[in-house]
Amino acid sequence: MKATRVFQLTVLVLVVVSAVQVGWWLLDRHAQTHEKVRAARTAYAEQISAAQALLDAGTSPQRVQQLLPQIIVADGHPTLAPQVDEALRTEERHRDNQYAWEGSFFLLALGACIAVIARALRAEARVLEEQENFLALVSHQFKTPLASLQLSLETMALRTLSAEQSRTLIDRMLADLARMEAMVTQILESARLERGRVEFKSEPLELGAAVARVVTHLEERARQERIRISCDIEPGLYVASDPLALDVVVRNILENALAAVTPLGGGSIALSARALNAEVELSVRDSGVGFRPADGARLFERFTRLHPRGGGGHYGTGLGLFIVHRLMHLGQGRVSAHSEGVGQGAKFVLTWPAAQGQRS
Amino acid sequence: MSAMPSGTRVLVVEDDPHLAAGVMENLRAEGYEVNTAGDGEQALAWLREQGCALIVLDVMLPGIDGFGVCRTLREQGNNTPVLFLTARGDPVDRVRGLESGGDDYLAKPFHLQEFLLRVRAILRRWDWYRSASATAATAVLRFGGNEVDFRAFRARAWNGEGQELTEKEAMILKVLAEHAGEIVSREDLLERVWGYDVFPSTRTVDNFILRLRKRFEKDPARPRHFLTVWGVGYRFLSEGEP
Repeated sequence: MKATRVFQLTVLVLVVVSAVQVGWWLLDRHAQTHEKVRAARTAYAEQISAAQALLDAGTSPQRVQQLLPQIIVADGHPTLAPQVDEALRTEERHRDNQYAWEGSFFLLALGACIAVIARALRAEARVLEEQENFLALVSHQFKTPLASLQLSLETMALRTLSAEQSRTLIDRMLADLARMEAMVTQILESARLERGRVEFKSEPLELGAAVARVVTHLEERARQERIRISCDIEPGLYVASDPLALDVVVRNILENALAAVTPLGGGSIALSARALNAEVELSVRDSGVGFRPADGARLFERFTRLHPRGGGGHYGTGLGLFIVHRLMHLGQGRVSAHSEGVGQGAKFVLTWPAAQGQRS
Repeated sequence: MSAMPSGTRVLVVEDDPHLAAGVMENLRAEGYEVNTAGDGEQALAWLREQGCALIVLDVMLPGIDGFGVCRTLREQGNNTPVLFLTARGDPVDRVRGLESGGDDYLAKPFHLQEFLLRVRAILRRWDWYRSASATAATAVLRFGGNEVDFRAFRARAWNGEGQELTEKEAMILKVLAEHAGEIVSREDLLERVWGYDVFPSTRTVDNFILRLRKRFEKDPARPRHFLTVWGVGYRFLSEGEP
């Protein structure tokens, strides 16, 4: 990283120096041409004086013109032949034109190089800053479960606890560890998203099957939290997406819904889908804690956690919905969040392009 | 000075349920009465209705952050001591916390015993301050035309100007007044008023003395009440130096 930067800066300096040199060279050539033309004119002026001297000495104009072919004598006055004068002017103009064209071309090319390198350097600086911000945020996110773990362990070390109290602390520590593990997974996922936009595939996938797989996975947890998940997705709805991305998106949306319902001690999550023109829409409606309508857009930003208390045992990392948003965006899809307000539940709508020729 | 914290009420403002529960259980095990709030607004609402001896305040809260909560409290004239807990432990944040009116600052993850010690130390300092300002005679200090009300953190200066004292200014004044005529070292002042290594330097004490002089001396450049004892500390004279 550092070596690349040094290289880029060196090239930038070289290009700038070259541009200055080209400019200097141009001015120099221009000056030299004028100098040459001036020297030629001086030489011709001497010939004119010589012709005048010859004429004054009584040499015939014909003889003078023979001796000095570039001079013509009209009415007894020697002057420079018009075609010679014209040739000098043309030569001067020609050279100036040549330098102007060549010079501007080189300067333009070098200017473009400078712009490209400067842009790359700026972009790199921005990436670096983003990474630093990301690291600061990530380390901050880790400190809370770490503090909780340390507190639980030190409590166990400091105090004599009943079996029940120990059990509570152990459960709490396990949940903290699970939270940290989830954070690591999501941070890796989001880091991959930031880097590799290229691996994104687009193939026809049956939405119902993909959702069913995730639901099966989460059903046990939902049952424990007394949350009913209902699925109303007709078979044969195909979306164009990346299989892994579809799985991650649906899982994150459902985990978010579970986390929103859990604090209320139970409730429901309803999934439904429909085909709309060239798109397929999946709605996930939950009876959870909801959010202020004004916070709808902020939900998808990195590390936004509107309900830190949401989700018994499972804590938001502030990355889940960010990942959903990025993945939907990468796959030419959309996601939006709706809620009437805190305590009113929420609805998330995911929209994918329908897979070509697969729609029933 | 009450050695037992039994019945002393502490408000824990922390958005992380595990951390809140852990802190609460430990404080309860030490004999404190504990209430919790999950965010700044909830904490401010609770504090409008009820009082407590100490607020353990997380900095990164949803909505108004901990610094904002502390500032709001101070603006409302609530002088309840605040112990900040934060995931950010850099010096800039530390200073911000103390500037917003906090008493102490602990970075996450923290050691349980250190946390409990700090809680105890803050409460002890305030216990002393309150009991030292409990009677009519000790609640008000008069010197050189100034009148300081230790319970209201208010004062009227010799020129009739009303003054709002910060807790630290009031505490320093209290320590000096208790030892009027005697020399009090900077270290003693630090120990009595801050207790811990919150401020690493005794220069801080000097700054507070400068502020007190500006508030109460007719000519702050030639103090008659807050005298510097070179190389040692300060001496307070209520009568004023002749």
